[in-house]
Amino acid sequence: MLFREGFVQGKSMVKGQGVRMEERLERKIGGRKTGVVLTAAVSGFVFLLSLPFVSWVKVVNISSLFPKIGISRETAADLYQRYSVFNLLDFVQKGGQGEIGLYAMILLMLLMAAWYFNLAYLWKAARNKKRKDGDLGLYAAGRLAMLSMLLLAGASVGFVAFSNNRFGMKGFSASPVIYLLSVLCVMAYAVIKRMEKKERELYHEHGLLEEIRKNWVLFLMLVPTFVYFLINSYLPMVGIYYAFTNFNFRDGLWASPFVGMKNFEFLLKGDLFRLTRNTVLYNVAFILLGNVFQIIFAILVSQVSKKWFQKTSQTLMFMPYFVSFVLLKVLVYNLFEYDYGLINNIVTSLGGDRIDFYNTPAYWPFLIVLFNLWKGIGYGMVVYLASIMGIDGELYEAAKVDGANVFHQIRYITLPLLKPTFIILLLYSLGGIMKGQFELFYQMVGNNGVLYNVTDIIDTYVYRITMTQPLSIGLGTAAGLYQSVFGFVIVVVTNWLIKRKNPQYALF
Amino acid sequence: MKKKLLSLLLATAMAASLAGCGGGGKSAADAMDETQEPVASGQEEQADRTQQESQAETESAKEGGGEAKELDTSERVDLVMYQLGDAPPDEEKIEEKINEILLEKVNATIDFQFSTWVDWQQKYSLQLTTGGVDLVYTANWSEYGTLANSGAFLPLDDLLDTISPDMKALIGDSALNQCRVNGELYTIPCNDMEYTSNGIIYREDLREKYDLPIPNTPENIEAYLLGIKENEPEQQLLDVSGQENMTTIFNFKYPWVTFTGIPYGLAINYETPAEVNDYWFSDDFTNDMKLMKKWADLGFWSKSALSNTPQEKALENGLSVMYFSGFNPSKATWVYKDVAEQHPDWKVEFIAFGETTGILFPANMQTNGTAISKDCKNPERAMKVLELLLTDKELNDLVMCGIEGEHYELDENGIYRNLSDKFGYGAMSTPNLRNKDIMILTEARAELNELSEKYAEIGAKTKYPNTDIYGGFTEDTTPYSTEYGAVQNVCDQYLKPLQAGMVDDVDAAVAQFREKLKEAGIETCREGFKEQWLAYCEEYGYK
Amino acid sequence: MKVKISKSMIVFQSIAYVLLALGALVCVAPFLIILSGSLTDDAVIIKDGYSILPRGFTLAAYETIFKVPGEILQAYKMTMFYTAVGTVLGLLMITLTAYVISRKEFKYRNQVSFLIYFTTLFGGGMIPWYLMYANVLNLKGSTFPIWFPGLMSPFLIILMRTFISESVPDAITESAKLDGAGHVTIFFRIILPVLGPGLATVGLFLALGYWNDWYRSSMFSVSQDTWELQFYLYNLLNASAGMKQMAQSANIAMTEIPTQSMKLAMAVVVTGPVLLFYPFVQRYFVSGITVGAVKG
Repeated sequence: MLFREGFVQGKSMVKGQGVRMEERLERKIGGRKTGVVLTAAVSGFVFLLSLPFVSWVKVVNISSLFPKIGISRETAADLYQRYSVFNLLDFVQKGGQGEIGLYAMILLMLLMAAWYFNLAYLWKAARNKKRKDGDLGLYAAGRLAMLSMLLLAGASVGFVAFSNNRFGMKGFSASPVIYLLSVLCVMAYAVIKRMEKKERELYHEHGLLEEIRKNWVLFLMLVPTFVYFLINSYLPMVGIYYAFTNFNFRDGLWASPFVGMKNFEFLLKGDLFRLTRNTVLYNVAFILLGNVFQIIFAILVSQVSKKWFQKTSQTLMFMPYFVSFVLLKVLVYNLFEYDYGLINNIVTSLGGDRIDFYNTPAYWPFLIVLFNLWKGIGYGMVVYLASIMGIDGELYEAAKVDGANVFHQIRYITLPLLKPTFIILLLYSLGGIMKGQFELFYQMVGNNGVLYNVTDIIDTYVYRITMTQPLSIGLGTAAGLYQSVFGFVIVVVTNWLIKRKNPQYALF
Repeated sequence: MKKKLLSLLLATAMAASLAGCGGGGKSAADAMDETQEPVASGQEEQADRTQQESQAETESAKEGGGEAKELDTSERVDLVMYQLGDAPPDEEKIEEKINEILLEKVNATIDFQFSTWVDWQQKYSLQLTTGGVDLVYTANWSEYGTLANSGAFLPLDDLLDTISPDMKALIGDSALNQCRVNGELYTIPCNDMEYTSNGIIYREDLREKYDLPIPNTPENIEAYLLGIKENEPEQQLLDVSGQENMTTIFNFKYPWVTFTGIPYGLAINYETPAEVNDYWFSDDFTNDMKLMKKWADLGFWSKSALSNTPQEKALENGLSVMYFSGFNPSKATWVYKDVAEQHPDWKVEFIAFGETTGILFPANMQTNGTAISKDCKNPERAMKVLELLLTDKELNDLVMCGIEGEHYELDENGIYRNLSDKFGYGAMSTPNLRNKDIMILTEARAELNELSEKYAEIGAKTKYPNTDIYGGFTEDTTPYSTEYGAVQNVCDQYLKPLQAGMVDDVDAAVAQFREKLKEAGIETCREGFKEQWLAYCEEYGYK
Repeated sequence: MKVKISKSMIVFQSIAYVLLALGALVCVAPFLIILSGSLTDDAVIIKDGYSILPRGFTLAAYETIFKVPGEILQAYKMTMFYTAVGTVLGLLMITLTAYVISRKEFKYRNQVSFLIYFTTLFGGGMIPWYLMYANVLNLKGSTFPIWFPGLMSPFLIILMRTFISESVPDAITESAKLDGAGHVTIFFRIILPVLGPGLATVGLFLALGYWNDWYRSSMFSVSQDTWELQFYLYNLLNASAGMKQMAQSANIAMTEIPTQSMKLAMAVVVTGPVLLFYPFVQRYFVSGITVGAVKG
């Protein structure tokens, strides 16, 4: 009874009668537009439907399916008959179905995205903050939420079809929840679209298509870049999946068994803390000291009056960049070696004792930072120098007239104007804080186990492991993923902090 | 308005509940039980049928015997052969000639691709992972066993039987058996047995000059080195590095089953392979490390040894008096040649470890092989081409020596003489295509043959004559890969300094090493290894 | 007043000269060692190690290298090709992108910036990247995968954006737009001319990236014809280590293992021309100053 009534009323609501419907939507309930409330309700509802306790995929024809895909009675004891997107990977892992693992992982990521967008929309609708572009931000969030959920639903249906194709028989079936959800999302999307159109008229804002028509030149300019990043970075990103697999040749890259977090366990066992500490500390030293010295020398170079000296010293200081690490290693060894190294020769000729560099870990943090500085100083100096060159000469003239001496000029003109560059470089380096300069460490230290405690970084550790085991794609990717996530978090936090103080300096 | 809203919500809620809530739920196993029987019997029937089919097959195969199947060569096939090393300058020329002949014979061409020496381990794996090659060079020092186990190569038994039974007969079952992994054959070894029985090479002229003992035991080595140090204090003695250290000389002392060290510090004697003992946790180990420290303190090698990389030609350049790591008779012949050129007044001698311990065996055939990658689209043609390259004299000479008259010529004894910089002997980096029956000999080879005869004599007296027991064993570390990795790390950090004598207190360092090993899970590794090793010995009858 | 200024100026200048001289010396010393090593007899190096001045002067190493110049010249040719194509194309793409995301009227500035930056954080690793070029695009062995990946980097794009927003104040572009200029006009007539230092800097980084790269040759080259210079050098340096491994088994052609001095000579030949080239590029920094002064 209720069902039919609701259905009828629903129909009439959806069909709408032009303006009346819009009015209704625009009317406010509890300070928020009705349309928003409705769609927020839908959003909340579909969110609940996507939670792990609702199953989206059913396993059918089990008795004929399991033998076909190689699942024994024992393994079947760990498996269920229904799965939500959240624990689909469980089936993959326990059932040893590596083939569908990648798809399941993609579904999981879509699920996360859908959750994020829906929660964001609910949050925004609840807060009801007044912004300068009215409710457009809200609508955009709403559309994103509905779209993401739709995408998830569509992908799930696709997953079922794909898996059945792989099995060669009907093994999965999509639960009706998915279809219900899709219908709701489409309806909500339409509602939001309607309201958005009205709002846009109000604020003279445009949607994407309009934007493209207006600024098509700009979009065109971006096309090559788009292609580049697609090919070089975004499409290959699918490979993150390997971090969760145990690769073997028989199954190949995409069907190897899914092992969840096992690769990360391995990393943890290998003194992850020590490695992270080393990596981070070295990078901090590199970044801070490097930038400071680069700025100092850039200023010095710009102030020196004799042009030839300027040019020569800058050229000379740039040269270390060209020395490849392999060569550097040979040089360093010949400088620091115990019996014949140049430095020890000097020390003994001055009457001192030979220093055993290669067996004393304590020296090495300083040495490595020193080498990195040496190599990078000319390179970084160029950027700062270019910035300094761009500073208006008149500013200095004016300052001089006012009686400022050189040091004052530097302190009050040069440094502040270098700040944006510094921040950009800093931010950029922070993103890579978990990644080390692999070559530097590897070539300097070689296979000297004594120094590992102080000089091992994540990259060298993983390199050693992967060299001894050819099947370790998973490990390498897992380490890379760990580094990326960590770096990502750091950057997002720092960028957010900077944005609050000085929005124009932020990276994004 | 509100009412309508509510009712709509309720309606959808009910619809949802009908659709089925709750993930998980019943275990799938239950569903399996329900219709177990019909399925089981169906499977049995199937099993019967396949058994009958396979019986019929084997019978027909036995009849087929040693005749090769007719190979369908109607379509031209372009194959890729992947080798480790650098491409020689005249690669194109020689490939052209080879392909002329191949096209005629089997309508196929071959393209040699090389990994170069940069990151070759990584590239080798990469190539196999991403596909694109047909024939691949394999070696036991290049992870052959692990890769084979993991399915990187095609099993070759059937192909051999149907396409190249002649080649199979040529190489021989015993050689082929050494290349089996878990009973399956994945690579075709080259047709050349070599005694890479390890040993050391040392300055004989200095020994004679100062009347020092022959360095064939650790004690004698110490006396030898001390003697030189006293008499020529300027002379650098040993080029020890992070990768190569003097612990190899313990092969003069222990008659172990391999010269390159048994994993996880175990000890297995050649004569009693089924007995697995311990080394790292024994007193022998502590004493050996103390010896290393003594030598380090005596100044036999540099204090910066651990960060050192091995110097090439250290002995020839006067930077050391002994080569001790990875040295075998064939390398020795190279050194003889160099020394004769550069320092005619010097003399160098090679001693195999086996001359003291009596343990000598030829290298395992897995050292140089050719496999067919699992992605190969024309395995039959690939097998045929391999056979031709290996057994056809014209092709084999082209691959190994180049074009006669342009790259080489034969002297009056039929010995190889090089003519061109652009292609030296074996410059195509194909040791896996060596065929002792048809190969052109070089001078060095002649010397080598002498040594080989000497060793064959000694080797024949061992319990398992001329068998490299350890070389045929592949360890599958995947069940305990985490511990394996951790143990490797511990070795890098704590064992290497001990082996180079770079610790202050040997006892304390050994204790620390042992403790770290336990933490890393050495017991797990040892258990796993033992299990596999004993099964292997059981299978091949090594007691 | 004037006396005060010049005194602090003098102090500052002297500090500057001293520090810079020291810095330059420290940076240059290793090169001198390499140079001298390449001119020293091999036996002397092995016995006595390296030093600043050559002992036992000999040109033997260079002779050996130039005996077969074909390979090196080919590597040079290819590297110059990659550098030229890559730098020009890359500079164009980078500047265009930076221009777009510096436009305040572009609604999606932040999103695009983020998407670009995001690629530095996450990646699938080497294998899918390799698969993309080798299998999906089927371009292994061609020159495409060698120069294409080096065209842009998020770092350079953002750097260029900073240059643009600093060199060209909004007022100018606003007035240009009022005059009816489209984006293309603004870009070519207004932005580019004052972007001298920016173009030079980013161009330099790009060119250096190409010149020093060896990894892409290692991964994608099938024949020596497409090798980059650095890879050629690296391969030579590694040859002996690799060959040792192989020579575990007999009769590998132990082709000439390069001697110490030859390795150094190779390094000089490979890096030398670039070092000589750099002073010429530096000229553009000077011209950048002039432009800045005029603009002021």
